[in-house]
Amino acid sequence: MEFKDKRVIVTGGTKGIGKAIALSFAREGAWVAANYSSDNQGAIDTESELTLITEKFMLIKADVTHRPDVDEMVKHVIDQWQYVDIFVNNAGIIKDKLLIFLNEDDWDSVIDVNLKGTYLCSRATIRTMISQKFGRIINMTSPSALQGRAGQTNYSASKGGIISFTKSLSKEVARLGITVNAVCPGFISTAMTNHLDQDIKCDLSNRIPMGRLGQPEDVVGAVLFLASEKAGYITGQVLAVDGGLT
Amino acid sequence: MEEIINNTNKLCEFLKRMIIDTLRLEDISVEDIETDAPLFREGLGLDSIDALELVVAIEKIFHIIIEDEDVGRKAFASLRALATFIQQEKQES
Repeated sequence: MEFKDKRVIVTGGTKGIGKAIALSFAREGAWVAANYSSDNQGAIDTESELTLITEKFMLIKADVTHRPDVDEMVKHVIDQWQYVDIFVNNAGIIKDKLLIFLNEDDWDSVIDVNLKGTYLCSRATIRTMISQKFGRIINMTSPSALQGRAGQTNYSASKGGIISFTKSLSKEVARLGITVNAVCPGFISTAMTNHLDQDIKCDLSNRIPMGRLGQPEDVVGAVLFLASEKAGYITGQVLAVDGGLT
Repeated sequence: MEEIINNTNKLCEFLKRMIIDTLRLEDISVEDIETDAPLFREGLGLDSIDALELVVAIEKIFHIIIEDEDVGRKAFASLRALATFIQQEKQES
């Protein structure tokens, strides 16, 4: 029970990696607020699974790109649970297109959810963490941010922005007992990759030195480590969980 | 708290104590903080990270949210400026 009574918010916490993170924190004794924006079925399923683990959880519908939603979400958690110890900025979307076909909406929506969402959620939470003199912010980035990938100018820019954001914010709050780090999952087997053809999956696996796609649980370990007391002297870092890809 | 806010001298004393406690300024006493000296750089030599802590402390104690950097800069110009800022905000609310 490493995270007993710690208060955790996970955005995009009802599917894929975010859901795995939310469930794992709950298993470790944390009080978990799993955020979602439109995935109502995912929220119902996550609620059922959390119910089997703990009573200390909540599902919160909020659009991370919309400041009033974000502020209300954080306020609600603080009103109910007094504080927030750990915030995992996991909500993210992709809209892959080659640049010549990438319209402004494709650009804006990906930047808004991935990068602006990280900014708004961190901003909404940082005051309570400063006041506690403790906090862990963990952001999700991507190998696309480090290496680039054709068809992902919007996504890689958003994830690169998250790395820069992570490093800058870490320096602002380092003295206040708050760490800010990023986790960089490689190719992880989730709903996003499950629909891929077997040939593409084989090709992906061949590019990974460990020869397989990662599982959401592989990412969870890194997130829990960075959120733990053991990682108290680590901040502004990007931890790759990619089977040796980068 | 209302009595303290309405009395400038008491408010200044309170704020000096708040700054010392919030920023854990162990070598500084209330008497060491000049009411009209700049809080940042010269004067007490506080920096922008100290300001973060003070912004949060003011929000918690006085329920006044400083969201704008320019507002913060003016409010933190000196201890007296901070006291005046708090009194004005409270009058308006």
